[in-house]
Amino acid sequence: MAGQNVLSSTQSAGRGGQVVPFILLAVVAAWPFFSGPFVVHLAILTCLNILIVNGLSIIERSGQLSFGHSAFVAIGAYVSVLMTQYWGTGIVVSAIGGIVIAAVVAGVLGAIILRLTGVYFVLVTFAFAELMRLMLLDWAAVTGGANGISGIAPIDLFGFVFDTRGRFYVLAMVVAIASFLFMLRFYRTPIGQAMDAVRENPTLAESTGLGVYRLRLLAFIIGCSLAGFGGVLMARYIGYISPETFNISISVSLITMLVVGGRRSMWGPLVGAVILTPLPELFRGAVQTQHIFYGAALILILRFLPDGLASLPSRLRKLTRSDA
Amino acid sequence: MDYGILIAQATINGLIVGLLYLLMAIGFTLVFGVMRMVNFAHGEFYMLGAMAVYVFTVHMELPFLVAVCLSFVVAIVFGSLVEWVVFKPFRHDELNGMIATIGLAMILQNLALIIFGPDPLSVPPVAQGVTQISGVYIPNSRIFVVFFAVLVLALLYFYLKKTRSGRALRAVVEDFKIASIQGISSKVYYPLGFGVGVGLAAIAGALMAPLFSVSPFVGAAPLLKAFMVVILGGLGSIPGAAVAGLALGLIESYASLFLSASTADMLIFLVVMIMLVLMPRGILGKGEV
Repeated sequence: MAGQNVLSSTQSAGRGGQVVPFILLAVVAAWPFFSGPFVVHLAILTCLNILIVNGLSIIERSGQLSFGHSAFVAIGAYVSVLMTQYWGTGIVVSAIGGIVIAAVVAGVLGAIILRLTGVYFVLVTFAFAELMRLMLLDWAAVTGGANGISGIAPIDLFGFVFDTRGRFYVLAMVVAIASFLFMLRFYRTPIGQAMDAVRENPTLAESTGLGVYRLRLLAFIIGCSLAGFGGVLMARYIGYISPETFNISISVSLITMLVVGGRRSMWGPLVGAVILTPLPELFRGAVQTQHIFYGAALILILRFLPDGLASLPSRLRKLTRSDA
Repeated sequence: MDYGILIAQATINGLIVGLLYLLMAIGFTLVFGVMRMVNFAHGEFYMLGAMAVYVFTVHMELPFLVAVCLSFVVAIVFGSLVEWVVFKPFRHDELNGMIATIGLAMILQNLALIIFGPDPLSVPPVAQGVTQISGVYIPNSRIFVVFFAVLVLALLYFYLKKTRSGRALRAVVEDFKIASIQGISSKVYYPLGFGVGVGLAAIAGALMAPLFSVSPFVGAAPLLKAFMVVILGGLGSIPGAAVAGLALGLIESYASLFLSASTADMLIFLVVMIMLVLMPRGILGKGEV
């Protein structure tokens, strides 16, 4: 219901209400082109986070919160890098490999664990993420163990090498926009709407003939594939991966972005990633202060704005309307 | 090398570790039972307990036992206050409550980082030397810790079984609605339940402080263990946590005898996942679903 409310309220706000956020976004997205390399770096990370948090959002919108999202980022990253390393595959094949393996693992794992709901699902995904980290550490002969893998070559797409930050930013931005458009499109399809229905009331959805379990499985697979894709790109951009690149604290910050941005709207992951990704860097030198800020923001948003910052405009609109 | 002695040694070590898991896990499961809240900040209260002991013994030069008791009291008061100020709106809201505790964990850990810095601090040992019982060696400091852990558990058992407030707390864990019909006030028992739960974590941290070094990051590992114990024992089940805590300690100890430590860790996570799927109510079948 609420998901649809957000939709209908933006539609009823008319053209002006729809265009403003896009203009704002275009300005923010263009800004890095006119500033230093550090800002571009942050912008790239933000774009990758948009992609990954969109994946988390799809899972969340089927009514399940995954605490193991970082594990699928890790799978995408490791599989694609190892494919190139051992079989010399190009980026396209490696990327597809990383995404497919992430999807397959999600499918197998999801088929087993999606019987669980609520905190039980959270805990089992948490355990899976730890298991994945330990496996990557332990399987040192292949994964390099705690040392990780360094010197990963940048993306080379049909002879065009994304070796500068500016170039990679364009790629990351295209991917982020594509994932956003995918979300926009996906939740207008019958399957997407069925998933929203499952989140709102699984029992009702089940009784109207929707296969709750299957829809959740599909959402889990799609969401984890996006995470895997994010991992593929992140490994190539940073050039270094280790099991600690994908530890539990990454899952925590992904959840923070989703919750602070908003769990019930398309804009949530985008808003969360855009606001929270650069924050750690702004507080550089005082990482503790930044984490305290993260924690406080999480609690305050949950308390006073449970649908996240993305719900702020419609909230304000309602406030002004009731005042008038 | 005699296998009998090796196994006896592993059993003793496993029981010692298991006792501490037990302390962590009972507090964790109590908080879940009372508030239906998976407390991701539980490890941070362990850390606070350890830090409090460091401050009380090193800076204020109080005796160790006084320091442990004081840190327990501090944790109960602070925990109740946090529940009342921060978590009140999230009672019985499983998912949002859980995310809120993640926020609290971030705040607590980083406050400790600001105050104490990232370097490990050491608390003076409480006892020296080693005791040998028919070939099995146990450091005296560990015997000391075990003694107090058992004492705390005995007191907790007495509190929960015999006192009025402890019985009320158990009633809240069983079924809050029926408990409140009987006149058990949510105003008192939610903060108290949370306070006692995190107080137990603080005691575990306080007791462990002299054995290991103390830093703002020490809470993560015990939190993970508490998770596993509580899942194995069934969320919200105190007897389940007791059995699973000791079992996990023993399994870890035996496994490290025959397998490499990392293999043992992975096996335990696998077992935890399988348990969650097959027996979400825990080994005694008493947890809530």
